[in-house]
Amino acid sequence: MNDKKKDFATPFLEGILINLCPLNIEHANLYTKWSNDPDIRRYSRNIIPWSIDEVKKWSEPKEERVKKEIIFEIWHRKDNKPIGRAGFSDINWFNRNANLFAEIGESDYWGQDIGPEASRLLIDYGFEELNFYKIYSRIFSPNKQSLRAAEKIGFKHEGTLKEHIYIDGEFVDESRFAIFKKNWLNSKK
Amino acid sequence: MEKKEKSNEIEEVEAFPFINGENIDLCPRNSKLAKVYVCWKNHPRVRKYARNVVPRTIEDQSKRFERRTEGLVDHISLDVWHKKDNKPIGQIGLSRIDWINSWANTFLQIGEPDYWNKDIGTEATELLVEYAFNELNLNKLHGGVAVDNIGSWSVAGKIGFKLEGVKKHEMYVDGKYVDTKIFQLLKEDWVKGKQD
Repeated sequence: MNDKKKDFATPFLEGILINLCPLNIEHANLYTKWSNDPDIRRYSRNIIPWSIDEVKKWSEPKEERVKKEIIFEIWHRKDNKPIGRAGFSDINWFNRNANLFAEIGESDYWGQDIGPEASRLLIDYGFEELNFYKIYSRIFSPNKQSLRAAEKIGFKHEGTLKEHIYIDGEFVDESRFAIFKKNWLNSKK
Repeated sequence: MEKKEKSNEIEEVEAFPFINGENIDLCPRNSKLAKVYVCWKNHPRVRKYARNVVPRTIEDQSKRFERRTEGLVDHISLDVWHKKDNKPIGQIGLSRIDWINSWANTFLQIGEPDYWNKDIGTEATELLVEYAFNELNLNKLHGGVAVDNIGSWSVAGKIGFKLEGVKKHEMYVDGKYVDTKIFQLLKEDWVKGKQD
């Protein structure tokens, strides 16, 4: 299904199992698959279908001068292929905070701590290069795996929005987790 | 799976399933399928009750898929993709979504007559209804069918749509005015129906 001709990945952030690379419009097929896949989109809350035409348009360079979001491809180093996307959305440059997300689009790679690795790379990048003050993440209560991962990474629970999100026929809570630059840099010492 | 002769050359396209069913998946639309869509839109038997009374061109169709609506959408359409035969055979979706009053119109068109009367419309509609209620959190769905369109009528009944009323002489079909039946399905009834 994936043509293996000469897949091109230029790492922007290097990790151990994975690298984070710029998005690549040649992978629009994969992005479209992930965006629509019922298991993947459940907790990303993609509730409207994405046509490949829309995905291609979305991958095109945007006009904006200051980026409102920065998104990477998660590249599996050993298997040499993209397996998901991660990045910051809703960047607020005045308050210097942003929403962090990681989506492993290939379910074969679930449960291998790839999400946390991507998150750690992004947190370093966010604090040390982008000069964020705070990074937060929105996690929905049925998504136990992400809850555990957030705590393991060092995110602190800030608050819970009751019955804030409608998933699979019921309203569920949204928890906000956050990490501050000062705590992150301390914990790394 | 034996290779079937295809009547019109269609590029090999990937389905990207958005909702998984048993015999079919519901998938996003794709400009590469514009030719297929045009065949459905213009097909005399298919367009009869869809009321496509003007010819559609490939250009009309292929332009439609790259614009992603900013903010709230009021229209969602999906391809009905036959899993075994690995091809799109029709479309289904919600039109005129009214987010404030929480209802939408449903539409369905099996564009390949070979797949008529095989309960595919029923399966597709079930998937759409579940999506509309459980993901989009709508409260009510409407469906309208012309009185003598037995196919759609039976789909509506099987899923639990109830007759809300008849609109007299609402459509002009084959030289005469025909009545339209308006069906509705309330979420609470659907949920109850699933528990029984």
